[in-house]
Amino acid sequence: MKYLRFPEWVNVLFFLTPAVVLYIIFVIYPTLGLFQISFTSWDGISPIKLWVGFANYKELLFSDEIFWQAFKNTVFWAVISLFLNVFIGLVMAFLIAEPIKGKLYFQLAYFLPTVQAGVVTAIIWRWMYQPDGVINSFLRAVGLGIFTQGWLGSFNLALPALAIAGSWMSIGVNIVIFLGGIQNIDPALYDSAKVDGANRIQLFRHITIPSLRPTITTVTILTIIGSFKTFDIVWATTQGGPIRATELLATYMYKRGMLEVQYGLGCAMAVFLILVVTIFSTLYSFQQKKEV
Amino acid sequence: MKRWLVIITVISMMLLISVSLAFGEAKISLDFWAQGEPGAVSIYNTLADQYMRLHPNVSISITYMGSELFPPGLIPALKAGKGPDIFGAGTGPGQPAAIIEAKLVADLTPYYFKYHWDKIIPPTIVNYTSSDGKLWAVGDSVEHTGMMYNKEIFAKLGLKIPNSYDEFIKVVDKVKTAGYKIPIGLGGMDKWPISHWQSMLFGYFAGPKGIDNVMFGEGRWDQPEFIEASRLFQKMANEGYFGPNPLSVGYTEVMDDFWAGKIPMTFTGTFVINDAFTKLGDEGLRKFGVFLFPPLKGQKIYPTEDIGAGWYISKSCKNPEVAADVINFFLFRHESRKQLLNSGLVPVGPIRDLLKEVKIPSLLAEFFEVVDRYRHNGTIHAYLDTVEPDNVTQVTYDGLQALIAGKMTPEQFVGEIQKEWEKAKAEGKILKPGGVIKPSGIK
Repeated sequence: MKYLRFPEWVNVLFFLTPAVVLYIIFVIYPTLGLFQISFTSWDGISPIKLWVGFANYKELLFSDEIFWQAFKNTVFWAVISLFLNVFIGLVMAFLIAEPIKGKLYFQLAYFLPTVQAGVVTAIIWRWMYQPDGVINSFLRAVGLGIFTQGWLGSFNLALPALAIAGSWMSIGVNIVIFLGGIQNIDPALYDSAKVDGANRIQLFRHITIPSLRPTITTVTILTIIGSFKTFDIVWATTQGGPIRATELLATYMYKRGMLEVQYGLGCAMAVFLILVVTIFSTLYSFQQKKEV
Repeated sequence: MKRWLVIITVISMMLLISVSLAFGEAKISLDFWAQGEPGAVSIYNTLADQYMRLHPNVSISITYMGSELFPPGLIPALKAGKGPDIFGAGTGPGQPAAIIEAKLVADLTPYYFKYHWDKIIPPTIVNYTSSDGKLWAVGDSVEHTGMMYNKEIFAKLGLKIPNSYDEFIKVVDKVKTAGYKIPIGLGGMDKWPISHWQSMLFGYFAGPKGIDNVMFGEGRWDQPEFIEASRLFQKMANEGYFGPNPLSVGYTEVMDDFWAGKIPMTFTGTFVINDAFTKLGDEGLRKFGVFLFPPLKGQKIYPTEDIGAGWYISKSCKNPEVAADVINFFLFRHESRKQLLNSGLVPVGPIRDLLKEVKIPSLLAEFFEVVDRYRHNGTIHAYLDTVEPDNVTQVTYDGLQALIAGKMTPEQFVGEIQKEWEKAKAEGKILKPGGVIKPSGIK
């Protein structure tokens, strides 16, 4: 029986084309559209898209204080998320990688918030952070009543409080990714280090972390991108309040673009966001490659 | 004989099929995107069923879009020409003005006169649903705000409804002394409940004409009356009238505590009554009463009033005549208005006669009574945030939180509002003076 043989490039083209076409239609084309609209004063409704050049960028970068506050808040959010998702996530993964009793239940418990809708997480934490919510009740019960707060109404605490809630939602995935990485590390490395008298902290520092470097890079980049995209948990709780203390780039973009019908300005903000995340992720990847 | 029977049967079946096909083709389908949560506003489904029974050639399909005044999916659908035939949405400047300018909605002026809506809808409401002499939307319901209070707590503490601001202070002080941490529930975390206070106080200090002068004339938001209104609100917050953490508590939580008897008072709107009626029943609602905010020296009591949402007919609607007939059936037919009232929704226009024929929740009846008592003074906005451009609304929301937190002075607050107002005015984003001009050819 004879098979019809095509040249290699025809096969490649045949399998790649559907994905490339879909990618062009649903990713490249809208992204280019975003860039185009960012140079207009379009309201998102009118058929007229008036070209304004860099006016939207100028307004955002040089005369919009709230934009910069939202940017700072987003960076702060990313820092907290990085600490919780990368550092704590890694430690948790290291701990549950050990053959401990009820390992599966631990894994399930950490992963459960990830499968929840963001709005559900927001509602749960909104309720927990109420002045009479479970967090304050717990503090009172253990004699730490002086630390009770109106968490989401506090100008200084609302942002970290929500960032913790946001990380609670995403840490499960990162633990699973780290766990997968740890399980791929050659056990002989740990065994020989143990023979040399290394303790658990040394094992973690000198074997786990260096071996997981590519995984850490991936999780870091995903966390940064996730932080810059955060919207639902803030919108469903504080809507950027109190007094813009939890205003993030995504919530501000929604307010200016959708609510104030300034699509052009909203798109300029989205372009800024894309550029920042791309630059940061690229720099970080290069840095990591250099270290390897 | 048998052959004839077969022939007759076949012919009659073919006739039946063709008749049903013909009717099938003639069936008019209307998509209605209504505001509200599925299940919560079931009255529209009831009315749609009634309409379809009377008009078997019309099929109405209702989709509930939630409580947002402009859900993000609506505009793309309208622009694609595949959106709803009828939809409920906001009526203020900003998005409503933009969809009108983009010609995405139909002019309702001919129907306004054809169905005599001009005899029912008050001019104050027409002002906010019309521009350039044309009517673009019809208000679906009327809402009022007022100070709701727990009658049992008032009786227990020997409190009476305050008639002046001084009496009001005494009431709040007594409530505080009695150990209620939150004398007046606010829900400041959600921002918009605070603007109910702002709308009412701005109205009390400036009066209906003062507000209209800013909305449609040359008036400014940084005039002394608005500064004084803001100062009073800030003073109330500083003195703990809204509890120790008014910005940490959301509206839902406040209302839960209010209905549970943990908070003695809250300033809110008639929109909460329908839901509370479902949960507590009329017996439960009888424990609560309402009074309008007492005036300061020299002030009048102005009832607040605004419409819930506006109903539009989209430009792409293939049967606008039928769509207008549906709107007329839902909102203006006597029987429908009774049903709306029974379900807790207050139709636009006179309802005094209807009230004799329906059994509405007692708290709603009390609301109407107090509003009617002072209606002769004129009405002020219940929700300024829905009739202002959104850039002003966002600054107002943040500013109100800043007033409560003491991070802004009243002068700075109104100054910020005025700055955004001027920006919106320059961009043509504020409301244009309303009113409908009768087109020629309509009697």
